Amino acid sequence: MAVEYETRRTSLLVKSAMFAGLAVLGAAFGYLAAQFADLEAHAIGWDDSLAFAIAFGLLTIAGLSGVTMIVRPSAVLPGCGLLQIAVFALAGLMFLAPMVVPATVPPVWVFAGIVAAFALQTVANVIVWRRADEMLRQLMTDTSTIAFWGLQSAFFLYAAAERLDLIAPVSAWGMAGILMAVYLVSSIVPSVRRGIA
Amino acid sequence: MNNHLRTLRADRNWSQADLAAALGVSRQTVNALETGRYDPSLPLAFKIARVFERPIESIFSDEGA
Repeated sequence: MAVEYETRRTSLLVKSAMFAGLAVLGAAFGYLAAQFADLEAHAIGWDDSLAFAIAFGLLTIAGLSGVTMIVRPSAVLPGCGLLQIAVFALAGLMFLAPMVVPATVPPVWVFAGIVAAFALQTVANVIVWRRADEMLRQLMTDTSTIAFWGLQSAFFLYAAAERLDLIAPVSAWGMAGILMAVYLVSSIVPSVRRGIA
Repeated sequence: MNNHLRTLRADRNWSQADLAAALGVSRQTVNALETGRYDPSLPLAFKIARVFERPIESIFSDEGA
């Protein structure tokens, strides 16, 4: 009996083209962000660079999810499409805002905006969890477990090294970037295991 | 855990989306079930058995798992 396989495989050529496209997008994003950010007034450290990379990644995922929703609606989890796009987009904007917006807006207003975006994102996250089916919930749980285990181990080792004056302190902004980066990388493992990524 | 979901679905000429709608899960979940990448919860396994009108043990087995 011929059984229809509905999961399309992406060819290496298409994947390469996608990576090249993302590289061009990343370069454009970096250039534009540098135009808006007051680079001469603020030294850009590794923590800002990491936050820029994460913001770009999150906004790109949001954009690609939007395109997927239009082109291949069956690939989007039912009831979660727009909400997931909102979650990624808001996270990207929240990472970008503290570095880009202060050049034109008072910091207190930027922070108020970030708090509002955070509240919105939390609501969207809760709704995604409630609408998700059992496998998506399992994915979220697995991701959180891997991220927590990795972060708490790394945090303890870092704290011990800092207490011994072996390494320089890391800013809270840097830690927030590391936390998000570890979470995003952690999400790849269960997604690949379940055939989502 | 092994299962015969793909064969049972094909017997009925259902798409993954059709089965997903009947089970109230995503198409990705049906795909993961069929490819053995995800083992369903007990409530979902019972639901699958009801949809195909077969006992659970004729759909799922732990042989070779």
